[in-house]
Amino acid sequence: MIQSTSTKTFQYDAKRRVTVDRAGLFLGFLLLLTLPLMVQSNGYILQVFTHALLLASLALAWNLLGVSGSISLGHAAFFGVGAYGSALLSLEQGLSPWLTIPIAGLFATGLGLMVGLICLRLRGAYFALATLAFVEIPRVITGNWDALTRGSLGLVGISGLPTLRMGDWHVDFGSSITASYYLVFVYSLVLLGLVTFVFRSNMGLALQAIREEEIAAEAVGIHVNRYRLSSLLMSAFFTGISGACYAHLVRYIEPGLVYGLHFSAIPMIFAICGGRFTILGPAVAALVLYPVDQFIFHPLLPAGHEFLYGAVLILTVLFMPNGFWWRLRNA
Amino acid sequence: MWTTIFVSGISLGSFYVLIALGFALIFGVTRNFNLAHGELLVLAGYSAYWLWKAWAFPFVLTFPFAILVILLICLGLQRLFSRLRDPIELNSIVLSFGIAILIQNSMLFCFSGNYRLIRIPILSQGFRIPGFYVSYGQLTLFFLSLIILGILYVLMYRTYLGKALRATIQDKEAAALAGINVAAMGTLAFCIGAVLIGLAGPLYGCIHYLYPSTGHEATLVAITITIFAGVGRLGGIILAGWILGLAESFTVVLCGASWREMVSAVLLLTLLAFRPHGILGKGEE
Repeated sequence: MIQSTSTKTFQYDAKRRVTVDRAGLFLGFLLLLTLPLMVQSNGYILQVFTHALLLASLALAWNLLGVSGSISLGHAAFFGVGAYGSALLSLEQGLSPWLTIPIAGLFATGLGLMVGLICLRLRGAYFALATLAFVEIPRVITGNWDALTRGSLGLVGISGLPTLRMGDWHVDFGSSITASYYLVFVYSLVLLGLVTFVFRSNMGLALQAIREEEIAAEAVGIHVNRYRLSSLLMSAFFTGISGACYAHLVRYIEPGLVYGLHFSAIPMIFAICGGRFTILGPAVAALVLYPVDQFIFHPLLPAGHEFLYGAVLILTVLFMPNGFWWRLRNA
Repeated sequence: MWTTIFVSGISLGSFYVLIALGFALIFGVTRNFNLAHGELLVLAGYSAYWLWKAWAFPFVLTFPFAILVILLICLGLQRLFSRLRDPIELNSIVLSFGIAILIQNSMLFCFSGNYRLIRIPILSQGFRIPGFYVSYGQLTLFFLSLIILGILYVLMYRTYLGKALRATIQDKEAAALAGINVAAMGTLAFCIGAVLIGLAGPLYGCIHYLYPSTGHEATLVAITITIFAGVGRLGGIILAGWILGLAESFTVVLCGASWREMVSAVLLLTLLAFRPHGILGKGEE
């Protein structure tokens, strides 16, 4: 196994890189922390940034798999199962969302296990195509299982996030936009911390080794399939959690929406544009591109404003294959 | 009843063959997975619809226009694809995914999200042969796909150019060593692919409702058939198309129409799980 000393030389060779990382992280953290104070009067801006943070968490979760070199075009499967799992558990069983959201994450992990069994022996392009096709299966099943999921009509009246009480002090996540903003913010921060930990651990090194040269990685004793499966499962779990949060924040879901191409494409686009090989890149891309889309392109072009994502993806693949955050750090 | 299902399955399969041919050819020669294939198809359908509706063109005359539109776009796309670095297959997927989003949103902008259909009454009329019913539309699809396959067969197996194309499909480096201009073959493959898309697109507009996001399903069909057939096998493509068409029409009758969308995905996953390089294709790498 790779020793932790090599982690140090591999990760911390350039001091400047670390400084850029920390400065960026701190500045972004401050901006996001004080955002509700700055835009107090404007609920719309806060809502857009809540959504942007949720998409950032999706991109971070996607990149847990992406770092191993696999490109998934089917993360909507995990997102949708998370959203439906949590929404149905709280609607039918009356459970609290605090309980159903982690359970929905486990549902998504189960689906991840299925994807792993079918797709993990595939590499590169064929893995991507298999994940693209895989989404259709939970989507069609959800759309047809009328008795359980109410079919293609979707679910309405999903309970919002409940109020958190501690003695006299309470936070109402259901109706306060600021509170739900901070909740998603904290969730993204936790996920970012976890991604950082994973990337810098032995597992992260192993995944990067697999990405660079799988046969060589196997030759030095890395269990390639075990590591690829665990990164897929982690990625699925957190995508499911994000999907569940989405269901309770938006409070309306339907199969075409949560299993749609949109939620497969968005995390992939953010992760690739930001930089698949970086920790922060995917989150930064989400926090930049989504507000640009919503504040600039949506008012200009109500129909077809998402062409921005297509254009950005094309430009990234052609001119900056490692993403802009990677480019910034290695300029 | 079973013969009717069989006939509609074969005609659907013939249509899928038309959809998949362009994709398979482009993939075979250039190793680019063009995920924007379905979107190009829908775009061809929209351009035919526009001519037919706004300018009252006869339906048959919309084909040259659709072919021209797709040809121009494909030549542009080929320039983009040729700039990709290794690994080409994976990068082409990401690139064409971006192109698909771009085309989808442009269509949403130009044609709105409303459902459109090119209504050609004669295609839905038909006649009854003892035992089953055939519509002219089904006959058209069946014979058109056979004719186009025949033309492609002659091109690929009876001409010098076809030999060069097949050599490029088999081994790019060896073909280049033998003096074949591999880059020109790539451009040629995109051109032939564009013509095939331009032919299939208007027909798509007659059979399916056109709306901007419908192309995804056609892309999945094209991928499934191409992987099923293996690279560069015309016979495999028609077999794969018919099997998929039959599987879909039997699914519609046995399980209900809403399960149809899953058939090609299940077929593709089964294929990839057991034979990642195609049923008829030999193992590569």
